[in-house]
Amino acid sequence: MSSSSCTGEYCNAGWSEVLTSMSPYGWGSMGLAFGLSLSVIGAAWGIFLTGSSLVGAAVKSPRIRSKNLISVIFCEATAIYGVIMAIVLNGLMKKPEGGIENGSFTDEWNWSSFYFAGYGVFSSGLSVGLTNVASGVAVGIAGSSCALADAQDSSLFVKILIVEIFASALGIFGIIVGIIQSNSCQFPYDVAN
Amino acid sequence: MATPGTAQPTSVGGMDTFNIAHGFVESLVRGMRNSFLSDSDYHHLTQCDNLDDCKMNLGETDFGPALQEESTLSPTILQSAAINKLSTEFLYLRSQSVAPLSTFLDFITHEYMIDNIMLLLKGTMSGRDINDLISMAHPLGLFKESTMRSIPTFESNSKGYADLYQCVLVDTPVGVYFAKFLKETSQQLGNAGEVRNVLEEVEIEIIKASLQKFWLEDFYAFCEELGGETAMMMGEILRTRADTHAINVTLNSFGTALNEPSMRLSDRKRLYPSFGHLYPHGTAMLVNAHDPDSLGAVVSQFSQYAPAWTVHTSGVDKSIDDAFYERDVHQLELAFEGQMHFACFYAYVKLKEQEIRNLVWISECVLQNQKESINSFVPIFSQHSPWRVKNQRR
Repeated sequence: MSSSSCTGEYCNAGWSEVLTSMSPYGWGSMGLAFGLSLSVIGAAWGIFLTGSSLVGAAVKSPRIRSKNLISVIFCEATAIYGVIMAIVLNGLMKKPEGGIENGSFTDEWNWSSFYFAGYGVFSSGLSVGLTNVASGVAVGIAGSSCALADAQDSSLFVKILIVEIFASALGIFGIIVGIIQSNSCQFPYDVAN
Repeated sequence: MATPGTAQPTSVGGMDTFNIAHGFVESLVRGMRNSFLSDSDYHHLTQCDNLDDCKMNLGETDFGPALQEESTLSPTILQSAAINKLSTEFLYLRSQSVAPLSTFLDFITHEYMIDNIMLLLKGTMSGRDINDLISMAHPLGLFKESTMRSIPTFESNSKGYADLYQCVLVDTPVGVYFAKFLKETSQQLGNAGEVRNVLEEVEIEIIKASLQKFWLEDFYAFCEELGGETAMMMGEILRTRADTHAINVTLNSFGTALNEPSMRLSDRKRLYPSFGHLYPHGTAMLVNAHDPDSLGAVVSQFSQYAPAWTVHTSGVDKSIDDAFYERDVHQLELAFEGQMHFACFYAYVKLKEQEIRNLVWISECVLQNQKESINSFVPIFSQHSPWRVKNQRR
């Protein structure tokens, strides 16, 4: 892909050059942002889906009020997964203290670890974020039906709750994989002297 | 997968976005679904000896607060209290809704507005007092007081109707149906001069059937536009309703001037809605039906209506209206099975109406002490319904 069709000073020879020229710190920080924000979007989506049905159904059947807050708590859990992941990833991002001379990295800089960590943090952030969107929406729709079913017949609550538990398990899958992925990522911050 | 921000209030929304605008109102109506009388309530009511017992039994149900202020109970008092209760609940739903749900709920009220207009026109022709008529009007279809008072002042001929439309009805939501009716009649007038004499005395029933047809077609087009599950469920419900309309128009026309061969093609055919299972082949055959047997031959060819027709002809005390009510209740109960669509609102209003009919029937039977036929009503969400019992036996 790196063909020699480029003659200008700032011309990129192909996508490979564009992508590798983006700083791994950029990749890592974007992954952190995606992980947090997509998790919160999923949680918020789920909460409004279930909350509006809960409020309306509680008008005629006030007894369902407290029990059905569990659905809202399940949705909130997906946001917490996002925060946990963001804190973990933030711990991995390290500012370089050595290894930089005159504004560029020295020759002993650990490039392989640098790039690996950048891509790894980005993808683990996306893993958590996208799975939490799906999980949040699923819990929201199931929670809305759970509130309405509980208002009609209270024996249905526990059974529909099992559906919600399976739906929130999707978010757990995301954070497990995200933590495993980010475990082997290490941003270099100094050169061994 | 649309993000929540792109779901405009002017759309129904799929499973993931419906609750943004309509979740609260839908859960309200599902809470109101709880208030239907159960099998045991109906059982207690049918065992009552007089209307005070009925009032006591109803006091424990959802109707209790509505009937508390009445000192005695009679079928008409029961009916008006129940209709007022339904109207209050409906207005609560309507006030909480946004478009397109608010337009949908308005469509439901148009049917009652048409009924009220016909009531006022018919009533003044037979010389009743305007105040009586306004108190008898259905509360879900009320216009402004001034509009209602001015309706009876017009003459009941085609020029009178044109004046009525231009002065009064054009501002009302049902004015557009009246406009279509006038356009159709004036087209007829343009075609054949001798038909004019008959149309100058055009019957109120024909006007009502025409207006209902236009309303059904408009409602059906709106539901199809909404799409999704709403279109699927309301489409089925309204198609059945259109067919019932066509069959009833034909059945009621036997023995009147509308049944004559010259009138059948020109006038009766215009009253059949342009959608439904019977359209277009069934309605084309219905045009030529001239007596109950030929009507039965047409209806029996359609599998949905053949059972209803056999009930009608079998001579048991059920009429075809009762068979249609049963089938309607079955269909409307199914509207509550899915979530996140609008059909449950329509189903709630119609099932409540059926419940009010049941209560009036039971109270009339109790009042007149006719216990044999007291059980010929259609209970709602009953465990003993034929469609539920059949499934439980498996």
